[in-house]
Formats: sequence, structure tokens, C-alpha cells
Amino acid sequence: MSDNRPTMIDTDVHNSMTGKQDLLPYLPKAYHQAWLAYGAGYGGSYLGTGAHSVTRRDARPDGGGPPASDPNYVIRHHLAPYGIDYAILTGSGILGISLVSDPDYGNVIARAYNDWLADTWLKASPRYKGSILINHSDPQAAVQEIERMGPHPDMVQVIMCSGSRNLFGQRMFHPIYEAAERHGLPVAIHPGTEGRGNAGPPTPSGHPTRYFEWHNIIPINYMSHVNSLVCEGVFEKFPELKFVAIEGGFAWLPHLMWRMDKNYKGLRDQVPWLKCKPSEYIRGHILLTTQPIEEPDDPAHLGQILDMIGGDHMIMYSSDYPHWDFDNPKVALRSIRRELRQRIFADNAIQLYGLSEKPGEGASV
Amino acid sequence: MTGREGKQAYPVARVGDFGEADRLVVQVKNVEIGLFKVGNDYYAWRNLCPHAAAPICAGTVCGTMLPSGVYEHEFGREGEIVRCPWHNWEFDLRTGELLADPSVKLRGFELVREGEELHLLL
Ligand code: FES
Repeated sequence: MSDNRPTMIDTDVHNSMTGKQDLLPYLPKAYHQAWLAYGAGYGGSYLGTGAHSVTRRDARPDGGGPPASDPNYVIRHHLAPYGIDYAILTGSGILGISLVSDPDYGNVIARAYNDWLADTWLKASPRYKGSILINHSDPQAAVQEIERMGPHPDMVQVIMCSGSRNLFGQRMFHPIYEAAERHGLPVAIHPGTEGRGNAGPPTPSGHPTRYFEWHNIIPINYMSHVNSLVCEGVFEKFPELKFVAIEGGFAWLPHLMWRMDKNYKGLRDQVPWLKCKPSEYIRGHILLTTQPIEEPDDPAHLGQILDMIGGDHMIMYSSDYPHWDFDNPKVALRSIRRELRQRIFADNAIQLYGLSEKPGEGASV
Repeated sequence: MTGREGKQAYPVARVGDFGEADRLVVQVKNVEIGLFKVGNDYYAWRNLCPHAAAPICAGTVCGTMLPSGVYEHEFGREGEIVRCPWHNWEFDLRTGELLADPSVKLRGFELVREGEELHLLL
């Protein structure tokens, strides 16, 4: 293996603006007032006691501004100390633009954000790779945005929030997958918007009471989307498409695979377009990121779950920097067998995002 | 009568025994066996589903949705499929294979037709 091969890729780093004004140069004048007044506009989060902060208290840049708003500080504070070669940027406080009621607003903010990202973070260091933000509630506009930004050499995937009014396998979303597949870009989803804006409630029985309860149950939305993608034949229709489930856990996957495979044997005729077991589509097309990694009392159980999933190529390391539920790469994956750990730290992301060489010139600060 | 490969041939039914039915259940050496008529052909399968031991002969003989493109529905193979009465697994009556996973199969027996007689080789 070449010395120049990356050894760690962080697949979920939340690059932030220093403030709303950062977006103004990229936003049509008609939207300036609204952006300054409402921001991303998809509502507040579930309440806790007030003691909890979503961002890490140690992550404020020394030059001021919100956590992860200074690309150079993030290299010094996070990438360099942990030996992270690349950070896949997933945005901050903006993913939920798919869930505002005004689709024109969502579309224009997505465009402005992508231009800002390309102009700032992606120019700051070759260590940073971008995710093209789309408004999934307006699939036609989302396709246009993928066409517009897809050719950018440092954009490595499409990203959308996992909160939604509809399950992601449904046909209204297929144009998004067609465009992403054509550009060779995975489609990623990221949580945090469940039950916010005009997304459906986070559970079929309504809203959890507190942030703790809400955070615990995010994986049911991920299960719902993965189930829908497979059953609706998305991966039959788009055989090259990869779908990245960021920050939704993975220990639930064996249960879902087993349940889907079992039902498929008796109910196959409802989805005659599936040509193999549902779990095979999952293994062939779904990737998942580690953070917040499940922490069973017996750490060995985690490795057993990974064996049950049966896809060493499916899991990628993520830290969620600078958020509170950060996973320290030196600690979080210790119980996982070594060769799988290396795949999780780098190899799987190298393959998915085509990052086979360490970043070149200008990579250090 | 002694059949091929030294197997014993048991006369299990006459073709006319089927009447309008698509199956008959017979017993040979204490084993329950389903005889299925598919078109003009006859097949013998053990009356035991490989999943959880349901009496497969109590299932429905039917057609099903053929493998198709996404969002297409094409019905076919009428009379060639048996659906287990318990968990609805679909088996191909000609091959015994589970449609969803051909590595799973009904246990089959050789059946030969001699004029009007059906002989099971065991
Ligand atoms: S016993 Fe036949 S499908 Fe379960």
C-alpha cells in the first residue's frame, strides 16, 4: 500500500458560517432580508433542560466566531491532532432548508450555500471535500443544483436532510438519484430535522417530549428510508447509486435486514422488480457512518453486530465535529477488529469518494 | 416393479384420479407426498414446507407476479406456483424452488407416468 494513501477520513464535519452575513454575497438581493430575519427557517429543536449545548464548548475558534466557522482552526483543532487526512463537510444549521414551506426560498438558500462552500472552505484546503446541498422537497430544482455543482472537483456527494414529508424511495425523488448517479455522486442524508419544519413527526405516534427522547429514536427514520429505497426498487433502477446514511447508527441494520429478507420470501410478489434479497441491496448500496457509535456494556457486542451486518465495506468513520456527541477516533472504535477498523477509518471512504491519495499542496497550516 | 437406479416404483395414482383437482395427497412408506398436476405434467413433492414444516399441499396453487421492471406488474405462470398455507412462500411446482431464493427447495420425488398410471420412485 502506498505511503500516500489516506489513513483517516472523517465523513461528517459540520463547517459553519461565521454568521448569516457570510451568505449575502451569494444570495439574490430579494432574499437578503428574509435570510437575515429567518435563517434556514425550519424551526427550533426539541427542548432539554438548557444545560446541554449542541456544539462542543471547547470548539470555539481562537479568533472568535461559532465552532467550526474557521477552516484553519478546524485543521489545527481537529484534523491535525487526530491525523485526519480529509474532512467531508456536511454543513451546519442549514440542512433543513428542504423543510421550509416556501420551495423558492429553500432552493435559493441551497444555491447560495453551495457557492459559499465552494468559495470558502473548499478553497481553504484540499483536505476539505464538499457535499452539494439540495432541497429535496423540490426534486426538479434539486436536479438542477446537482447539474450545476456536480462537475465541481471538490464536491464529492449530494446531501439532504433526513427529515421529510415522504419516504425517500418514492418515485418523486428518483430524478435526484438519476442525476446523482450520472455525476458519480453518492446521495447522503443527515439527521437533526426529524419533526422540524414541515417534516412528518419523528415517530408514527407523534412527537417525543424531550431532546433526549427525540435523539434516541432518530434511527427509526433511517430504517424507514432504507426500507423504502430498497422496496421501491431504487437500486434496480439506479444500479450505480450509493446512499450514505450519516449519523443514524448502524446496530439496527441486522434487524432490518432479517425482517426484510424474511418478509420477502412470502411477499415477493408485491415488489416483483426486486431481483435479490433486500439485504443484498442494502449491502450493495447503503453506507453508514459511525458516529454516534453505539456503546453496549460489553464492547464485544459491537463487533458481533458488525459481523451480523456482513458488510465490512459499508461503514465509514465520522466524528460529527464540533457537535456534543463527537466520537474520538482514538477511543470510539477500539473494540472493533483491526482490519475492519482500518476499512472504517479510511478504506471505505477512499473507495466511495475516490480519495486514494493524501491531500496535496497546502494541506497543512 | 423396480424402477431406474434400483429404486422401487410405487403406483400412487391414476391420472383420472385427479378429476378437476390440481393435487392429490398420497402416502408412501409413511411419507406424505403431494402429487401436483401442472398442465399435462405431474410432479411429486413431500407434503412438508422446508421453512417451518407446514403441509404445503394445503396451500394455494396459483400464478404470481413475474420478475419485472420497477413499478411494472405482470401476472403469469398460472397453475405453476404453490403458496404455502402458513407464511405464503411461493414455490415453483416444476422445480420445487422458492421464487425468492432458489437455494431453498421442496423435497421432490421422481414420478413416472406409465400410460394412465403414476409411479413414484423411491
Ligand atoms: S411453513 Fe411454509 S412458508 Fe412457513
